[in-house]
Amino acid sequence: MTAPVAVLLVEDDSVIRQALAATLSRYGYAVTTAADGLTGLELFQQTQPDLLLLDVMLPGLDGIGLCRRVRETSTRPILMMSARDQALDVVSGLEAGADDYVTKPVDTSVLVARIRSVLRRAGHHQADAVEPAGNGLLEFGDLVIDPGALEVTVGGTPVALSATELRLLLEFAEQPGLVLSRATLLRSVWDYGWDGDSRVVDTCVQRLRTKIGADRIETVRGFGYKLRT
Amino acid sequence: MHTRIAGFFRVAFARRSLRWRIAALAAASATVVAVVIGVAVHQDSWDRSVAEGEDLASEALNGAEGSYLATGKLSATSTATGKVVTTGVPQPLLDAMHGSLGVVGKWLDTTRPDWPRMWAGHHVDGRLIAVWVDLSHIFDRVHDQDVFVVKAAVGTLVVVFVVVALLSELITRRLRRVSRTALRIADGDLTARIGARAGDEIADLGSAVDSMAVALQQKLLIEKRFTADVAHELRTPLTGLVTSAELLPDGEATELVRDRVGVLRVLVEDLLEISRLDAGVERAELTPVPLGELVTEAVSRTGRPVELDTTGAALVQTDPRRAERIVANLVHNAFRHGSPPVEVSVAGPVVRIRDHGTGFPESVITEGPQRFRTGVTERGRGHGLGLTIAAGQAEVIGAELTFSNAAGGALATIVFPAAESVQG
Repeated sequence: MTAPVAVLLVEDDSVIRQALAATLSRYGYAVTTAADGLTGLELFQQTQPDLLLLDVMLPGLDGIGLCRRVRETSTRPILMMSARDQALDVVSGLEAGADDYVTKPVDTSVLVARIRSVLRRAGHHQADAVEPAGNGLLEFGDLVIDPGALEVTVGGTPVALSATELRLLLEFAEQPGLVLSRATLLRSVWDYGWDGDSRVVDTCVQRLRTKIGADRIETVRGFGYKLRT
Repeated sequence: MHTRIAGFFRVAFARRSLRWRIAALAAASATVVAVVIGVAVHQDSWDRSVAEGEDLASEALNGAEGSYLATGKLSATSTATGKVVTTGVPQPLLDAMHGSLGVVGKWLDTTRPDWPRMWAGHHVDGRLIAVWVDLSHIFDRVHDQDVFVVKAAVGTLVVVFVVVALLSELITRRLRRVSRTALRIADGDLTARIGARAGDEIADLGSAVDSMAVALQQKLLIEKRFTADVAHELRTPLTGLVTSAELLPDGEATELVRDRVGVLRVLVEDLLEISRLDAGVERAELTPVPLGELVTEAVSRTGRPVELDTTGAALVQTDPRRAERIVANLVHNAFRHGSPPVEVSVAGPVVRIRDHGTGFPESVITEGPQRFRTGVTERGRGHGLGLTIAAGQAEVIGAELTFSNAAGGALATIVFPAAESVQG
């Protein structure tokens, strides 16, 4: 019996906080809650939860600021919840380093599916990390990916990638030079069946570009992206 | 490049361009100046010519008088420039002498325009002595001068017209810039500015357009904030409601609550979407999209059994999220208010959605969809926002959405703008 997955929920509305905590507990998650951004950041640093579920609009430090602060030190999965109109907050949330987002009001089934998907990516990370390395490095110029150790280096310098970014890069690396559509990436990386938002892909690609070099991933307008070989 | 230059000339030298009027005005001013100066110069030389003629005539008269006093005879003799006349002295000369004895009379004879003569007459000892001198050579000079002035004036006119027509580019260019910017603002680029410095009326026009754009931008920003705030204020309690309702123990009452919460949720989302569309804050993110895949995706999203035919689908320029929303709304509407089978077909950039029900109400076809007017008297079968949203989103992405009734059912047709080019 493994320890339950620890989720830190940061949400200012007390009804949503309590109801979500109760819902997630039913699904077997160990939920800790915080009502504002600063408490959330403190709790995150103390407890190091497996997943951070946070609202965008928070008193004190807002969700985007909190996301950015967490990303400075951690690659743990972050799932954002937004109640405002998407275009304004969603993109900035994703740019701040969130792995995915859901819009309020959210169905429990959808939320749990998103949580599982994000955790699976992170779990993939951890599970593979214990496997012995050496099953062949993937090299693209000075970009070296070790799929065994799940380490990425650019010109010999290690790059810290979040689980989602790493999963996305591996998806590209497994099919170098092939154009992958946003829909394909949503399915394979984010586990979206059909209701995905392609901005998730776009912003994640942007983040990946800033970390490994802007010209390595090429945009094929109207279709998707490919890794330049 | 070539077409751009051609385009510039078509606009800058259009038949109704302001530049022709400016040039014509300048030419007219130049004409007035030329005429005034020409007349003044002509008058001045005329006067001088007359004075010169009078001097010549006086001289001739003196000569004739001298010879008369010396010889006591008066004969009709010719001199180098004139003639002494004894008979046929013209009446105007006699008038000029007032019939008095001591007065020297002078008269310019222009009865023959090609032969101007100056007459002079004097009574000496009761005898009338009259002479005339030919002034052709003097008045030829005046004529030559007039011709020169006219030629110079016409030449100047042509030069002024051409030069002003070209120089007015400085003005028309600024005006074209104002209208270009205003068009960009009308097209939705609210950050477009003319950036004119204070000064003349064109600069004032520019800053007026700029401040209009600023006011528009602020209004839109306020609308945007307001709809975002309303969204947050409505969704937050709704989220608590949805999540709490799912925690309720299963049962008949719970089902009723969950059902109504679901309806409320759809209604809130639809109203928020409509308010965003109304506020004009929606901006499409256009990209080339394969229409067949898009429609397939949208249809599968509805989870309804649709007969789909996407053979012959084209690449279109659209915002995929909005396009999917339109298709999904129309499919939902077909099931909700029409009857199956629902057929969706894609041909080129055109999507047709048809059902086999009673068709659209007449008001939808003629006036377009109206909020909360579903065409069915019974309530609770949708709230009539789906079509309004579809129509609003179609406008945002520049697609043409029309409603009609085909034999045995409603037919909605969406025509997407074709993609400009395929890059890959």
